[in-house]
Amino acid sequence: MQRTKKPILGLAFTLIATLITPPTQAAPNQIKLPPETAKLLESTLPGYTLATQQCLICHSADYINYQAPDMTQEQWTNEVFKMQNSYGAKFSEQEARSIGAYLAVAYGNAKATDASVVSASTPKPKPSAENSNAIINVQLLFDSNGCLACHAINKKLVGPSLQEIATRYKGDAKAKSKLATSIQKGSSGKWGQIPMPAMTDLNIEQANALASFVLQQ
Amino acid sequence: MTDKYNKVHTSRRQFLRNAGALALAASPLNAIAANDTSEGITFADGPRPLVRYPGKRELILVHTRPPHLETPSSVFNEGVITPNDAFFVRYHLANFPTSIDPETYRLTVKGAVKTPLSLSLAELKSSMQQVEVVAVNQCSGNSRGYSSPRVFGAQLGNGAMGNARWVGVPLKTLLEKAGILSGARQVTFNGLDKPVIPSTPDFRKALDIEHALSPEPIVAWSMNGEDLPFLNGYPLKLIVPGYFGTYWVKHLSEIEVIDHLYEGHDAHFMTKAYRVPDNDCMCVAPGTKADKTRPISTLPVRSFITSVKANDVLPVNRTVKLRGIAFDDGSGIKTVDVSMDSGQTWRSATLGNDLGRFSFREWQLAISFKNKGSAVLLVRASNRQGEIQPLKADWNPSGYRRHAIESTPITIA
Repeated sequence: MQRTKKPILGLAFTLIATLITPPTQAAPNQIKLPPETAKLLESTLPGYTLATQQCLICHSADYINYQAPDMTQEQWTNEVFKMQNSYGAKFSEQEARSIGAYLAVAYGNAKATDASVVSASTPKPKPSAENSNAIINVQLLFDSNGCLACHAINKKLVGPSLQEIATRYKGDAKAKSKLATSIQKGSSGKWGQIPMPAMTDLNIEQANALASFVLQQ
Repeated sequence: MTDKYNKVHTSRRQFLRNAGALALAASPLNAIAANDTSEGITFADGPRPLVRYPGKRELILVHTRPPHLETPSSVFNEGVITPNDAFFVRYHLANFPTSIDPETYRLTVKGAVKTPLSLSLAELKSSMQQVEVVAVNQCSGNSRGYSSPRVFGAQLGNGAMGNARWVGVPLKTLLEKAGILSGARQVTFNGLDKPVIPSTPDFRKALDIEHALSPEPIVAWSMNGEDLPFLNGYPLKLIVPGYFGTYWVKHLSEIEVIDHLYEGHDAHFMTKAYRVPDNDCMCVAPGTKADKTRPISTLPVRSFITSVKANDVLPVNRTVKLRGIAFDDGSGIKTVDVSMDSGQTWRSATLGNDLGRFSFREWQLAISFKNKGSAVLLVRASNRQGEIQPLKADWNPSGYRRHAIESTPITIA
């Protein structure tokens, strides 16, 4: 009897399974957004590096590029403060002033030689940048270059998590130099549509130290 | 969907740069004029390119991330309904899903209600009475680029507006199904879009309870007979006829009834942004700040000529049929007038089919010019509340709700 029941039970299970599976399951609606190509106008002002690292976390460069020409340094600086006060951007007051000065020179009516631009553009001291013989403090580098705004250890934020990066490069003999290059020169297209800005303030030792740290995760 | 949507076109500036090397005799100027994405506004970085995003034809790029695209003005002359693939796109927060599963999607109704709801799309579409409305969705900052003096924000031409046929269920029906508790003051709306970093406020909006319980707002899934385009809020969007687009929450997922006025970190887009001066004109002296503000609300009356572009050449002593659109907050368009002499005299246009009081209203007028030379066409609408477009634009610090009479310079030859 048992031998004859088995196929019947099997058939019953098949029927139930068929009934509870929706007959025509609509596929998820998916889109792929175009790659991001807009870039901030280059400048030697320290605010340029800060703007690249901070502003582009939340929005593409064209949010800035297509503003009206001829805005003043005061107007641009107020706009940067608005990003800090209203939209939670994570920079200091001094950094905000430096970004405002750069934006006013690149997009507005200020000149790099204006006294107000010069005074707002005092470079931030980079504690570990002066002496390459000093022991590089990786944690300090992470903090002072805004890395943690886009990357967490174990979850995706704007960019991939450090663990995802380490996993992808596992076993790659050139992983460290590849990563150091991406950190120093920026990178795009490897992890999605949002580009990683160039960390131009870093020297090669610092970039290598950061790359090693990432690969250990 | 596929890579074919991801082609970014050469910008006009790039084209100009390339063309600069050629002799001017090649005359690239006609090609430029036909593809003008600046529409009369100057930008720090030159004119903007046309781009293709998923589900969209070539639209004017305002911003790449989060996406912000404008409808080219020629689309508004194609018909009174704006096609889905040409409808403008505007996000505030870059962290939104690019894959949405209609099988698992849920709309929740919670807060000060007797029975919180969690509805699948199938339940929403099958269990309640469906309604349809043709309504204009216009961005609060539409035409901001024409503010004088200029203001920060998306530097929009006139393409952040569109008119579509929306099908869904009345918000009122949903709220009544959940059962509103006494003491309810406002209803808040949240979609799937999220801030990139947690310190940025979420994008959430609120309507007063009386407005939420009026017959007008609907929760829609259909736009012009199709599912909502992904970038216009698939699969559900709040439609608030007569109100600016800021209230038309995309990817709508949470409705919450509250017993107080909406406040706090995530109320930013009600309490700090999308506000206008709290006075009759919702304006201040150019370049000054407002002492007191209130949330932006309904659409002022506006009108456009769609059949003639700036700097077009029209024939002398020949009949020219002008065509255009007018719209308001749902009071209803009363008149559309055209002036050919800088506003000294006005001629009444004939209004076209009425698709409902929240829709674009077509208008037509046959004119002919007696003299050659340059001329300016003005178009002015009024509504049944007695509101009429002003000749001179007023000003507010955010460049919202521009509604002055539009002027179109032309040449008669």
